[in-house]
Amino acid sequence: MFKALATLTLCALALPAAPANINIPIEKYKLDNGLRVILSQDNTLPVVAVYIVYDVGARSEERGRTGFAHLFEHMMFEGSANVKKGEHMRYVESNGGSFNGSTHPDYTNYFETMPSNKLAVALWLESDRMRSLAITPENLTNQKEAVKQERRLSFDNQPYATAIVDKWPQLAFQNWQSSHSLIGSFEDLNAATIEDVSKFFKTYYAPNNAVLTIVGDIQIGEAKKLVQTYFADIPSQPQPKRPDLAEPTSNSRAKSEVYKDVLAKVPGVVIGYAGPPRGSDDFYAMVILDALLTGGDSSRLQQDLVKGKKSVVQYQGDLGWPFAAADDYKSPGEYATFLVYKPNFQSNQIVDQYQDEVARIQKEGVTAEELHRAQTLLLSSKLNQLQTSLGRATLLANFEVLDGAPEEINSLLGKYEAVTAAQVQSVAKKYLSPNQRVVLAIQPDANAKPNAATNPQGGR
Amino acid sequence: MFRLYAAAAFLGLILPSGFVNAADIDRSKPPETPPIPNVKLPNIERFQLPNGLSVVAAEDLRFPLVSFRIAFLAGSKYDPKDLPGLSDNVAALLNQGTSTRNARQIAEESADLGGDIGAASSSDTLTIFGSCLSENTSRFLALLADVARNASFPDDEVQLQKQNRLQTLRAERSQAGYVAREALSDALFGPHPYSHFGPTEQALAALNKAALQSFRDTYLAPNNAFLIVVGRLPSKDDLKKLVTEQFGSWQQKTLPAYQPPPIPGNAKKLILVDRPGSVQADIISAHIAPTYGSPEFFPLSVGEMVLGGGTNSRLFQDIREKRGFAYDAHAENNSMKETGVVSAVTEVRNEVVEPAVEALNADLTVLSKQDVTATELTDAKDSYAGRFILRLERQSGLAEQLVRVETNGLPKDYLELFTTRVRSVEPDQIRATGKYWAPDDATLVIVGDAQKIQKSLEKVGTFELKKPKQ
Repeated sequence: MFKALATLTLCALALPAAPANINIPIEKYKLDNGLRVILSQDNTLPVVAVYIVYDVGARSEERGRTGFAHLFEHMMFEGSANVKKGEHMRYVESNGGSFNGSTHPDYTNYFETMPSNKLAVALWLESDRMRSLAITPENLTNQKEAVKQERRLSFDNQPYATAIVDKWPQLAFQNWQSSHSLIGSFEDLNAATIEDVSKFFKTYYAPNNAVLTIVGDIQIGEAKKLVQTYFADIPSQPQPKRPDLAEPTSNSRAKSEVYKDVLAKVPGVVIGYAGPPRGSDDFYAMVILDALLTGGDSSRLQQDLVKGKKSVVQYQGDLGWPFAAADDYKSPGEYATFLVYKPNFQSNQIVDQYQDEVARIQKEGVTAEELHRAQTLLLSSKLNQLQTSLGRATLLANFEVLDGAPEEINSLLGKYEAVTAAQVQSVAKKYLSPNQRVVLAIQPDANAKPNAATNPQGGR
Repeated sequence: MFRLYAAAAFLGLILPSGFVNAADIDRSKPPETPPIPNVKLPNIERFQLPNGLSVVAAEDLRFPLVSFRIAFLAGSKYDPKDLPGLSDNVAALLNQGTSTRNARQIAEESADLGGDIGAASSSDTLTIFGSCLSENTSRFLALLADVARNASFPDDEVQLQKQNRLQTLRAERSQAGYVAREALSDALFGPHPYSHFGPTEQALAALNKAALQSFRDTYLAPNNAFLIVVGRLPSKDDLKKLVTEQFGSWQQKTLPAYQPPPIPGNAKKLILVDRPGSVQADIISAHIAPTYGSPEFFPLSVGEMVLGGGTNSRLFQDIREKRGFAYDAHAENNSMKETGVVSAVTEVRNEVVEPAVEALNADLTVLSKQDVTATELTDAKDSYAGRFILRLERQSGLAEQLVRVETNGLPKDYLELFTTRVRSVEPDQIRATGKYWAPDDATLVIVGDAQKIQKSLEKVGTFELKKPKQ
């Protein structure tokens, strides 16, 4: 907390920023089996969020095991010793709650938001699948097919998706851990045996590889007892090996490729640069730079390219794009922007227009007014996110699993507010230079071969 | 053992640690839990300006944010007969220019204040919404007042809206679900203006600045509005001063009398809207039903959950899980100021349209014939109350609920007593609302390829065949 106050004092001199003096209470401890627990009490409303993060994502996968992280997200809804297949959803719904789960490059999450009288139900559900997931041949076969079907519908049958999901990581990263298909290959999925899957579960879905975050209408003492009751006797496992994500360093990694997309009707281009280390001063400046370039109707890309040059139709950009955002960006990562543009322009013209926007910031810097608008935008969107128990649980868990420091939630806003115009200009120069730029042009081509359901880098 | 613990915790007893051992609990079934909690709402202040503007302020001190709503009784039911969609178009254009700000200035200024500003219209209300950082409350109120009072409907923005809305209307009408709801509104409400559903292509062609201004001048008046403010607020006196500065000089208006024909009663209607090429049939079975304030409202709503409130519900379990006729089957309860509409909705494969209607009708008949089971009742109550509670976590959620309370003239303790009312619903009360689902006086609308499904529907009854609206 003292950090937030310090940065606030600094920025109070610079600009009339909002006092982002938030103080989310945090109680962090560890069970004997290694399960990390974060409790945050707020009794304003009778709502509680239960959020479990497993420290395994697509970048943790081994060769020949691509798609396992995602396959598991499916398996986790297939039932456990005391919760039959399909019942998870019904228990949450009929108790007035909502739920979901998702796979990310560096973690996998599962969560429920419930009326607070139902906390025990959520803990019962989550502990039962951590303890006794039903890994049966039937479930495995079903979910292999479900994952393949999801891939066909959500990726192979959508414009841009195959290029972005499979091709982009290969261009942006050299280390296989980051460059392989995060959805996985059909070949690897087909080859997955019950033993492979059981081993993956035992290794990565162990309490010592998880963070349990409970936010909302709880009493700390009672919550601790419930956590003890439901989770304490789940045995721990040897700590899993962490992947080596290091990228080779090079002075120039500039690259450009063209992907012919049979489903796209309008051309698009992805432009990316290696991003700063998570949590560094450069990182926070980069988030502000992104807000200034891409955030809201008043952003540079909107005003100069969509409206001014009338070349770009839509765009999105973020640290960690497309699989992560600033909140869960982990180094090494990219700062990437995807722009869809009008067919009477060429991809290199769009890349030049984009780089010109960057160059203008590199040369002229940004105005105090623009900086303040970007900071305000970020501040209000973060505060909106913090309103819900799930929003707070997500941030707390991200900070724990990626930084081991959930208390960062309370200094985050101060760090955004402390960024200066000089820092924004400096990160634009340091990171967004053409000789570090990777470009993937996605061109509509009705004659191109259908988007592949297998990925050469995914296989053994 | 666990049951003891839960009960004791509910009574607020302090338990020695280690009271429950992991080994003692029965994991084979979900833990028993205390009843649905009550909601303690924040402090809510109400006051009125001399010009009639009603102000409701709810304090939420958690974060430095404020959310706003200005709700006018100016929804689509006030649309002139020849200009359906007018309220909706007024709403879309309010933030596109005022006498002193253009669209871009409004967008930039709201961004500078840490927020956004927009408007939308429903059957009863036209509501302006917005939010900002709490330190900017006074400047944001000024922007909000400008949009509410001085919208100028610039010619280029009106033209753009006409073009864009025509495209979205065509896109909407390409969807069977929209066609079904449009036909249902007509069939249920006939001459009553709740039949206004969306614009028509003709109405969009005829839309002009004069019509927009006239609607604004008629209905956007302080004595026809509720200002809702939720968040980290100034003191009541300071807020009153700020609101008076921005809205105090706004002149009252004489509102035209609203004298709608009576809401039609329920009567059996079978309507088939032809949609050549449809690979499935969209089915809606609907009734006019009680709305907020009726003693039947909560039993009706809990019954709706039993019938079609989620994957546990009867319709989902029967139509989808047991018979495999459809991907989804659910019930809806759309409450408006003057009445409610309850409906059962599903989309089925063409080949099974007749057995699907029969199955749906059978499910809809049961509610008035026998009591719901104890488990169904508990699940439905928990589910309904939970949805209500979860939505209150955001300021916008509370603001929406306050708009509902104010514009429908509900008692001030409506939100506070909501979960208590849900808890006290009894099975016989639900059975008494079964008549609002019964097939014998339902309006049944089916949208599908008449060539493919008309024949088999003859077994259900004689359908009136209609073409989709253009």
